[in-house]
Amino acid sequence: MRRNIRSIVVVFLLATFSFLVLGFQQINLSSFQRGNSDTPFGLELGLDLQGGTHLVYQADIRDENGQSVPPNSDQMQSLKMTIERRVNSSGLGEPIIQLLGENRLLVQLPGVKDPDRAKSIIGETAQLMFLHRKVNFQEEIPDFNASDIVKFSLAALKSPEEGETLSKKPEQVEGAFDPYALNTIGKNQVLYIPEDDQQAAEFVQENKSLIPVLAIEINEPSDQVFEAIVTQLRVSMLPLQGTNKFYPDGLQIELTGDLTENMILTYNPLVPSGGGLIPITTNVNFYQLEDGSNTYFINIRESYDTYQNAYEKLNSMDSIVFTKRVGKRDEPIGLTGDDLDRAYAGQKAGVGTPIINIEFNQEGTKKFAELTTEIAGTTDELAIILDGNQLISPVVRQPILGGSAYIDGYDFTVQRVRDISLLLESGRLPVPIKLITERAIDATLGIDSLSKSASAGLLGILLVLLFMIMYYRIPGFIAALALILYSVMLLSIFKLLPVTLTLSGVAAGILSIGMAVDANILIFERMKEELKLGRTLLTSINIGFARAWPAIRDGNVSTLITCLILYWFADTLGATIVKGFAVTLAIGVCVSLFSALTVSRTLLRIISHTSLGSKLRFYTPAGKSGLLN
Amino acid sequence: MDFVGKRIWFFIFSLIVISIGVVFLIISPGLKPGIDFTGGSTLRLSFENDVTQSQIRTKLTELGHDGAIVQKMTSGQEGDYFIRVGELQLPEKKSLLSSLQDSLSPDGINELSFDLVSPVVASETVLNAFYAVLAAVIGIFLYIWWAFRNMPSPLKYGFAAVIALAHDSFIVIGMFSMLGYLFDIEVNAMFLIALLTVVGYSVNDTIVVFDRVRENITLYPARSLRDNANSAIGESLGRSLNTSLTLLFTLLALMIFGGDTIKEFLWVLLIGVIVGTYSSLAIAAPALFSWENRDLSKLFNK
Repeated sequence: MRRNIRSIVVVFLLATFSFLVLGFQQINLSSFQRGNSDTPFGLELGLDLQGGTHLVYQADIRDENGQSVPPNSDQMQSLKMTIERRVNSSGLGEPIIQLLGENRLLVQLPGVKDPDRAKSIIGETAQLMFLHRKVNFQEEIPDFNASDIVKFSLAALKSPEEGETLSKKPEQVEGAFDPYALNTIGKNQVLYIPEDDQQAAEFVQENKSLIPVLAIEINEPSDQVFEAIVTQLRVSMLPLQGTNKFYPDGLQIELTGDLTENMILTYNPLVPSGGGLIPITTNVNFYQLEDGSNTYFINIRESYDTYQNAYEKLNSMDSIVFTKRVGKRDEPIGLTGDDLDRAYAGQKAGVGTPIINIEFNQEGTKKFAELTTEIAGTTDELAIILDGNQLISPVVRQPILGGSAYIDGYDFTVQRVRDISLLLESGRLPVPIKLITERAIDATLGIDSLSKSASAGLLGILLVLLFMIMYYRIPGFIAALALILYSVMLLSIFKLLPVTLTLSGVAAGILSIGMAVDANILIFERMKEELKLGRTLLTSINIGFARAWPAIRDGNVSTLITCLILYWFADTLGATIVKGFAVTLAIGVCVSLFSALTVSRTLLRIISHTSLGSKLRFYTPAGKSGLLN
Repeated sequence: MDFVGKRIWFFIFSLIVISIGVVFLIISPGLKPGIDFTGGSTLRLSFENDVTQSQIRTKLTELGHDGAIVQKMTSGQEGDYFIRVGELQLPEKKSLLSSLQDSLSPDGINELSFDLVSPVVASETVLNAFYAVLAAVIGIFLYIWWAFRNMPSPLKYGFAAVIALAHDSFIVIGMFSMLGYLFDIEVNAMFLIALLTVVGYSVNDTIVVFDRVRENITLYPARSLRDNANSAIGESLGRSLNTSLTLLFTLLALMIFGGDTIKEFLWVLLIGVIVGTYSSLAIAAPALFSWENRDLSKLFNK
């Protein structure tokens, strides 16, 4: 009897405790805090149940040969903190970030309906880089030299006057075009290609309204190389993405032996270039008669005399050298965000204009000093690139050896300076990362499913309880109570640990409820047999438990073993789904073992002592006979 | 009732069902793998304008996504489509969506959901799943061997349980191959969970029956194995049916009234519970007897 009282008290306390835990949406006891304010019973719900974004990133460090290098744990910790900071300050709510295995990071954003924004904020490729930007320097052109030129000659471009019809001599070709040029030849402009130089001279001198052009005929297949060069010239004319700076390339044609005589052809009208042959003061256009032709017509808008002078010299082909003037080239020097200590907005001493202050750490100071010494005073720039986008690219006035510097710009505003400083500060990820898994569940899909499933689940359990009561009668009623208590205990454990419920957790929960019911059924069937043999109720109960116990134990333990193995595997391999299943099932099994042992047995014993104990009829399953009187 | 005596019928029946499943497994596409196993991206899109499935498919092929899978969604509204292509990082996804919108649905496209699994992760998942299940099976085998160590031939208990397990798994997998063939149902991580659940249930169920067998042998050592096994099965019948019934109640309720996203998952569980119960009674115990009885060698010696 004493044993019973003790058990009763324990069961009662547990029941009360569990109900309390679930009843309060949130639990706040000094430093112990549990419970989610929006979910049923305050249970923590996984993303698949409440909707949100699930992202898995993998560290993607490469060495110089492009081979993968695994990260160390400090790097991963630092990565985790950086991303946490970024997401927290972005207003996307509190992320749940876990390290998976050795090189992966799981980022879960409950309730975030816009994963694209989250991904942009987290960023993918890492790295803040400081590059040495070489500006306007000369470079050889491989694959192309003077011998690839067939000849230089002259041609002319004419716009007809109103009402004028142009004569057919010399050879007249209509519709020459350069679709990329700023000033395209209009439809009614005509390119005249004289048969020879004399004709050219005559023609041009007669007609003042003609525009002379220089024609270059190129040996096939070198014309393809030339075409590539021309294309590059065009492309370099565009401003650098996101800025209003541009760095045009140029084609330099030089007569060796006499350095003052060269010409540099660029698409940009603002860049002054070489002197001697043709000074460039307006933009240059390259025309072809048709795509793929090997003759280019270059309109430099100079006087005819200038052209004549140039082309005569050019046709003495031995001493011509083609080189490229490169607008810009960025070279990494090993100075990255890792070397940066701080970046913050400030004001220029004395003047008060907005500036950006940067300070490098010890390593960084050295590299920065080297770089600035090299660049100072030249037109080369210090390009600062974040995630492939240029932030700023200032010139360097003098070498900076102390590791701290400030950047000012004529168009800097307080806002801009603050933004850039923030980006410099928080914009660097310790390691490059690559997104390898993304799951986004639209909130409506998730929530809809959840509420429906919750009610359906409750309905199912209700049916089970009804069935138990109807078939097993009083023991069934006991089982029903035990089951309710079991569910409540299970859920309160989930809430306290806490265990985040996911879909796989629900599956495990269903299974463990099934097993808990099963344990009870095993006991009852045994009881039934004992009763059939004529034993007393109390004896039947005790024997029933004793006989059923090995089966219950073995079944549950083997399931537990399965859970352990699954959990161990899932943990090392980062499979959260399997892990969730294993953990939930393991908890379910343990609680069900306890419930069968303690709760069911205690309740049965209690009832057997009451008046209901004498009414054996109520203990046999419906429809069964064979009870001895 | 002589369950054990009728075992040949049970075995044949199971073999037939499994064979059907295997047939579907072999003819392509076999088990239709979802992106969890192959890698790739899935999109659920809601088109404002009227579009047809073939329009979408053509456009996707044009954009370079050959072999894209496009399905009309049965849940949700008219104009909801499920699309599966290769791996799409953010800029690629944006350009895909804007191309689709420009050409097919200028009034707009609503992105309901997007999932991305890199092929790296996918192939890992397959491998992991396989290893995990293998380890679990071995673990179960070992435990049963230990638990039944006092019995004359404990190994056979372990093997019989594993046979029942394999039987259940094959049927479930075969069933899903068939569903994949007929209804294009894909197999993803949820399927795996469901399979694991079925394994767990089946093992539990099988052990309960074995336990009864053991008890009978211990109590009535003089009785033949056939009789002991038969009575064990008979005694467990009531309990097994009741347990599976309770589970079925819950599952049915969830299926009928529950949300859409877990329907396939519940199907697996439903089939699994039925098959698991059947296998514990009709396959596991008879298999045990079969072994003791040296059925196979008798068969081959005829």
